[in-house]
Amino acid sequence: MSPLRKAALALALSSGLFATALAADSPDAEKSARAAPAPHWAYQPVQRPDAPKVRQKKWARTPIDKFVLAQLESKQLGPSADADRATFIRRATLDAIGIVPTPEEVEAFVNDRSPKAYEKLIDRLLASPHYGERQARRWLDLARYADSDGYNADGTRPNMWRYRDYVIEAFNRDKPYDQFIKEQLAGDELRPDSNEALIATGFLRSYPDEINARDLNLKKQEIATDLTDTVGAVFLAQTVGCANCHNHKFDAISQKEYFQLQAYFVNASARDDVMPLKDNELSQYRQKLAAYEAATQSVRTQMDAILQPIVDKLEADRVFGFVPATRDSITKPEEQRDAYDRWIYHRSLWTMVGRTRNAENRLKEQDPAAHARYQELKQQLAAFDSIKPTDPGNISTIVELGPESPPTHILANGIYDRRLDVVEPGVPVAFAAGQPNIVPTATSSGRRTALANWIASENNPLTARVFVNRVWNQFFGHGIVDTVSDFGKMGERSINPQLLDYLAYTFVHEHGWSVKKLQRQIMLSRVYRQSSAHRPDAYALDPHNRLLWSFPRQRLDAEQIRDSLLASAGLLQEKMGGPAVFPPVPGNFGANPNAWTVSNNPEDHHRRSVYVFIRRNTAYPLLETFDMANPNSVHSRRDVTTTAPQALALINSDLVYGWSQALASRVVREAGASEDARIDRLFRILFSRGPDAIEKQKLIAFLDSQEQINRQTHSAAPAEPGMQKVSTVQISSPQDPRESAFVDLVHAVANSNEFSYRF
Amino acid sequence: MNKTSRRRFLSAAGLGAGALAAHGLIPGGILSSANAFDDPLAPKAPHFTPKAKSVIWLHMAGAPSSLDLFDYKPELVRLRGQPLPDSFGKNLKTATDGGVGALLATNRTWKQYGETGAWISDLLPNLARQVDRIAFLKGSKTEGSTHVISSLKLHTSGLVPGRPALGAWVQYGLGSANRDLPAFVVLPTGTGNAGGGRGATIWSSGFLPATYQGTAFRQGDSPILHLDRPSVVSSDQQRGMLQLLRDLNEHQSAGRPLDSELQARARSYELADRMQVAAPEAVDLTKESQATKALYGIADSSTPATREYATALLRARRLVERGVRFIHVISGAPDNSIDSWDAHRDIEKNHSVMSRQVDQPIAGLLADLHALGLLDTTLVVWTSEFGRTPYGQTGDGRDHNPWGYTTWIAGGGIKPGTYGGTDEIGLRAVSGIVDTYDVQATILRQLGLDHLKLTYQYQGRSERATTVYGEVIEDIIV
Repeated sequence: MSPLRKAALALALSSGLFATALAADSPDAEKSARAAPAPHWAYQPVQRPDAPKVRQKKWARTPIDKFVLAQLESKQLGPSADADRATFIRRATLDAIGIVPTPEEVEAFVNDRSPKAYEKLIDRLLASPHYGERQARRWLDLARYADSDGYNADGTRPNMWRYRDYVIEAFNRDKPYDQFIKEQLAGDELRPDSNEALIATGFLRSYPDEINARDLNLKKQEIATDLTDTVGAVFLAQTVGCANCHNHKFDAISQKEYFQLQAYFVNASARDDVMPLKDNELSQYRQKLAAYEAATQSVRTQMDAILQPIVDKLEADRVFGFVPATRDSITKPEEQRDAYDRWIYHRSLWTMVGRTRNAENRLKEQDPAAHARYQELKQQLAAFDSIKPTDPGNISTIVELGPESPPTHILANGIYDRRLDVVEPGVPVAFAAGQPNIVPTATSSGRRTALANWIASENNPLTARVFVNRVWNQFFGHGIVDTVSDFGKMGERSINPQLLDYLAYTFVHEHGWSVKKLQRQIMLSRVYRQSSAHRPDAYALDPHNRLLWSFPRQRLDAEQIRDSLLASAGLLQEKMGGPAVFPPVPGNFGANPNAWTVSNNPEDHHRRSVYVFIRRNTAYPLLETFDMANPNSVHSRRDVTTTAPQALALINSDLVYGWSQALASRVVREAGASEDARIDRLFRILFSRGPDAIEKQKLIAFLDSQEQINRQTHSAAPAEPGMQKVSTVQISSPQDPRESAFVDLVHAVANSNEFSYRF
Repeated sequence: MNKTSRRRFLSAAGLGAGALAAHGLIPGGILSSANAFDDPLAPKAPHFTPKAKSVIWLHMAGAPSSLDLFDYKPELVRLRGQPLPDSFGKNLKTATDGGVGALLATNRTWKQYGETGAWISDLLPNLARQVDRIAFLKGSKTEGSTHVISSLKLHTSGLVPGRPALGAWVQYGLGSANRDLPAFVVLPTGTGNAGGGRGATIWSSGFLPATYQGTAFRQGDSPILHLDRPSVVSSDQQRGMLQLLRDLNEHQSAGRPLDSELQARARSYELADRMQVAAPEAVDLTKESQATKALYGIADSSTPATREYATALLRARRLVERGVRFIHVISGAPDNSIDSWDAHRDIEKNHSVMSRQVDQPIAGLLADLHALGLLDTTLVVWTSEFGRTPYGQTGDGRDHNPWGYTTWIAGGGIKPGTYGGTDEIGLRAVSGIVDTYDVQATILRQLGLDHLKLTYQYQGRSERATTVYGEVIEDIIV
């Protein structure tokens, strides 16, 4: 056995052991342990299991509760008591809409005597427009979403926000998951005239790309690999990428099947120039544009005459920058280009744009006089700006350049130029519920539609299981299958196979792929309602709480921390949608000074984190510190690390201290002069509860001692060099030492563990 | 900022090194299944007894020409001005703006130095005196023809972004030896873009947790973000705040005695406190003697040509002394007249500027580490994304050459000497051929890590630092 394989097996054993031990009671597990030829569990059809019999019948509100309780009871464990209502609403609000609830919302729920109080709460949260913002972020992690290309040039993708908004809208409108899949994989084929469907393919379009790539043959293969591996991981939780170089070592996917799967994507090209306007808007725009063009004809012709030779030269030079094989495809006469050449040629146009946008600088170097003349002409052109129609921007999408696809080759060891046999599209036999039926359209191969229909089929054994498991993971911090993107043999066993199937079956067959209904069902379960309090008895038996004997407390993720701080401070701007924003950052924070130009509009500084620009190589520091998703590939689950730089970011950042000052002002405004009332209000804002007697006493004592410190030692230190001005939050020290002490109190409380966790 | 004003915000009483890791040492970074919160930076036991503790990775961004520094080729001089002979050029996949030019001979004068008799050109007179500490890998090769791709491969073993850098793997495998500082530090110098080969993707944590990524130190005396208090907060004020924070955290987690994650978070503020002091101190060169500074090339009389790079290397040595595991120093150009080592034109000017910038600082670093007894446990690696071609480009420059170039390693249990070589004109590696994977595997080996056993589960694969490739270069190990 190779050392690699040994290491892999050792790891699999250690991680899978616990689940196996716990699942061993289910008859299902015993059966599969004995009968080797039975298909891997994840490839078997989803059945609707009956809810098991439980002893504590009164506790179980929903079938979910029975599936969980039956396992607990088999270990002689009982569930935990319900969390108190304040804890519950904080938990549910963070989970559903990503920020802490207001004290008024908490009070209303705590005092709601209606028997439907929980239902009303969950329904209110699921109906909030911010629900979509919160849920979309999890999906965008999977979609490796970013507003830039990646690699080193990492240029801006100005249109991707439309895809982000599409995802938000899809969750808010509760778009059925099967339709959501189809649009993202094949919207361009299914509804080529629909902006929404084109934008949806942003899922595929979000692959990282390199504008300066010289070997587009390699690039084409890299993109096809990205799409295959992404779709395999996100929708099917299959580690198909393992079969790129060789037959899958553990799962029933051959290398041939890998490339058959890849064949669905080999004709997919990116387009970033689709006009978003339609009908009347479009004809009005065109009219205005025509008028503008007519008025500026002469100036523009003169400008072109100066610049075009430079552009032509840059393009001609650039062609020689490509490797010979790429150059062949590009320089062929159009009528001789086959589907493969067409893809390469189309991709090369983007590289050309990258090269020629420097034409003006090149002109300046080569011919200063001509450049000066060009600038004069630009001035003349600018005089017509008043009649220039507003640029409507563009849509980025995936399209195909014709109905024929280039051939897909098996590649020796996955190396792009070592081509072996040609294969046709097909899905791995092991998990196929039949093969997709491909019907080409006039302009497209129809391959992605066929694959999308197959994935989104109610008979696909993986799709629904994988999705409901992701949702479960989102609420409880662990999936029912804990390897959320690996349902293969090397993945962890399902800890509760019947629960998984129950959720998957009802999701498809009873709730019509409704994500909101799925989440509602979970959020109204008794399992989700449990307290997170420590229980020594249960802890001794199941220290990881995989059986869910209590609610697993979790650290807030990066966006929840930032957005909740802003919401608490009263600063959060709840404007929805539109191009990404650049909030202020510390000076000199990244290697590339041009990567981050702070937004001019101060309101943009306090938008929700989902709207913060994602530059693949220059992450927004506060979010990055708290383990935001890495957008270079599918990010299945947020890490939780606990590090000194996180503490530094929250305690030392001028920005965050400014938010604490704003929160302090809010508290003073809302609670008045009484310090008791202020402390009470602060706790209710941050923790959804009032302080206990000890906390009150500690905090008042702190105000006394801190006031003394401030009186004696406080002197305004000079501003840190290199900090960008925080334009909307003026941080300055209050003159009164007691008030200053109160700001410090707020800052300390906002830094405490209780704020950064949901219990 | 002067140090007396940077007072620590918490008393560190009661927090010895013992507070770092309560759980057992698990070799090679396979996370323990203990119920405790797994501290991602806790020290972990290596697979072998390590020979080296730290790596200083001298990344020559833009790619220097081995043919003008280390790889003496009389035959190339003889064939000067002739087209590339077919016998050498067969199957050459070129991707160049200028195509294949005539063979370009080096204008350097060459000599052998030291007991090992290593060839060094007159561009590196200081380094020439250190050759007996160095193993030259003259049969190095790699893949790709652009800085971006080959630089990704050099650092992450991947041709597309998303894989962890070697420094991230080292942190993952060994944890941190000094929690007051990041274990993986990047020291960028200069401002050139090096063809795009020096961005954050090359020190990324990739699919490993974000905590393992390299920390790019900022210039100046405050190297890490948010080391300084908010501008309006005094140190006593902050100390009071943090005492309150500690009290609140203790009070609130009283009912959760076994929640080690909450404890770790509370403790992170105390680590932050120490980092506030330790990080500026680590880069503060005022304690270094004039002689030491002069050795590196930071003396007052020295030209600005070496100052920035020398400062980075002296900082690197101070970081090594403080237990930092991996220090990635990126070369840039000392002024705006050139971008980096990327000499597509006028290699004479380019390489004389770039060589002058790095020669004395690197020689100084090797001598200094040796004098301090640190060279035995520190690997100093000279590396670049590829080399440069023997054929010319735009008349007086050289193009990218992934087929054969020189890498070198000194210290850390490495045997000095010259290993491998290229063909007669220096185009392709023909003997002692090593790929970037092999260099990585060897570095891991010297740090006590087995590149076959250091794995991380990602998307169903047991991922390794060197992917499925990589062999330890046994010949150069003592």
